[in-house]
Formats: sequence, C-alpha cells, structure tokens
Amino acid sequence: MLFFRSEDALNEWCTAHRHPRRPTATLPQLWQMAVAWYANRLSPQARRPDANEIRQIFARIGLTDPFWDPQADRF
Amino acid sequence: MDDAFDLTVRTAVYQHFATTGRSPTRDATAQATGAASDRIISDAYRRLFAKRMLVPADDFTSIRMAPPFSGVETQHRVTVGTTAYFANCAWDSFGIVSALGGTGDVASRCEQTLEPLELHLTPAGPPPSAWLFHCVVPASKWWNDIVFT
Repeated sequence: MLFFRSEDALNEWCTAHRHPRRPTATLPQLWQMAVAWYANRLSPQARRPDANEIRQIFARIGLTDPFWDPQADRF
Repeated sequence: MDDAFDLTVRTAVYQHFATTGRSPTRDATAQATGAASDRIISDAYRRLFAKRMLVPADDFTSIRMAPPFSGVETQHRVTVGTTAYFANCAWDSFGIVSALGGTGDVASRCEQTLEPLELHLTPAGPPPSAWLFHCVVPASKWWNDIVFT
C-alpha cells in the first residue's frame, strides 16, 4: 500500500516490479478510508469492520471495483 | 476470561504506541497488564493476531504491527504533536493521524521516483494533491500476508 506521484510513475513501478496495475484511490478517498478504519482504534470498543461494513465503506467513498470487495473470488 | 484479558493487553499495546511511537517490549506489556509471566503475554498476542488486531514480532518479544502503528521503521513517517511514529503503509500513515485526533503531518515518498511527499492533515482531510494510493493485493487477500500487503 504505497503512494505514487502520478499515474505515469505508478505504471512505471508496476512494469518494473511485474506487479499488476490495480485500481487507485485519491488522497481524499484514502483519508476517508483511514477515518473509517482507525478513528476509534484507541477505544476499547474498537474492532475491524466486517465484510458487509467494508463493502459499505468503500461504496460510500466511491471505490466500487471488485478489487475492494473483501469476499471477491475473482482475484 | 481470555477475551477480557486480551482487551487489556490490546489497550496497553495501543496506549504504548500512541504515547511513545514505539512498540512496547513484552516486559512492558506484562507490567502494564499485571501479567505474571511472558508466556501469558505471548499467548494473548497469538489470540489477538488470530483476531487480526495485532501482528507480533516473530520472537513475540515485541509488536511488528498494531495497525495503523508499525513497530519497525518504514518510509511512512507521521508526526502528531511532538511524537513521531512509523506507519505500516500509506493507508496507515493517514490512519495514525486519524486515530490520534485528526491533525498531524505525514512524510513519505513516491515509490517509483522517490520524490518526497509531505502532507499536513486536518480533520477536513489532506490538502489538494494529485498523488495516488495504490495497493497490489486485493481486499479479499489482505490478511493472507498482512506484512507484504
């Protein structure tokens, strides 16, 4: 889970390391992911979201590709 | 009984990371929780790993990952207040700021060009930027090898 300066830089990295090019998230989307996962992480009530909650979080953020589905069987 | 103790251990580990920016030693966790032996702490670490809450180091003497905190140095550095942290990944660098109140600084890099990335985050999010987040591993496989992910 890495940062890239641009689409070109990401594509060059994927080619150089023979990694598949996956869907990306913008930094505002990443911030929303971070808040959804970690805003209450220091609370004793903290827990990881379950599969349905994960789908809902990604859908709300606009990440709807099956890549983000925690139970996808396509990968 | 294990569940209650595991919660105590988890809370102690996260409080240590939040306060110091570093992993607690097993002795420090034992002291913070009143555990009578290292074995009790190691067993709790194993159960918390099974629950995907912590990743102990191989020798169980420290914590490799307490997401979003990293127990080892990485290229993803975070500063909140006067405390410096290492994050496990790009996502977790934002996660540390979120977990600690929503305001802080992230320093990382473009993995291809090595150009530095420096961001000041607030509860409103990051400043406008064309930078991207990319993950090779699909969500359904993140915990197959969470350290690689």
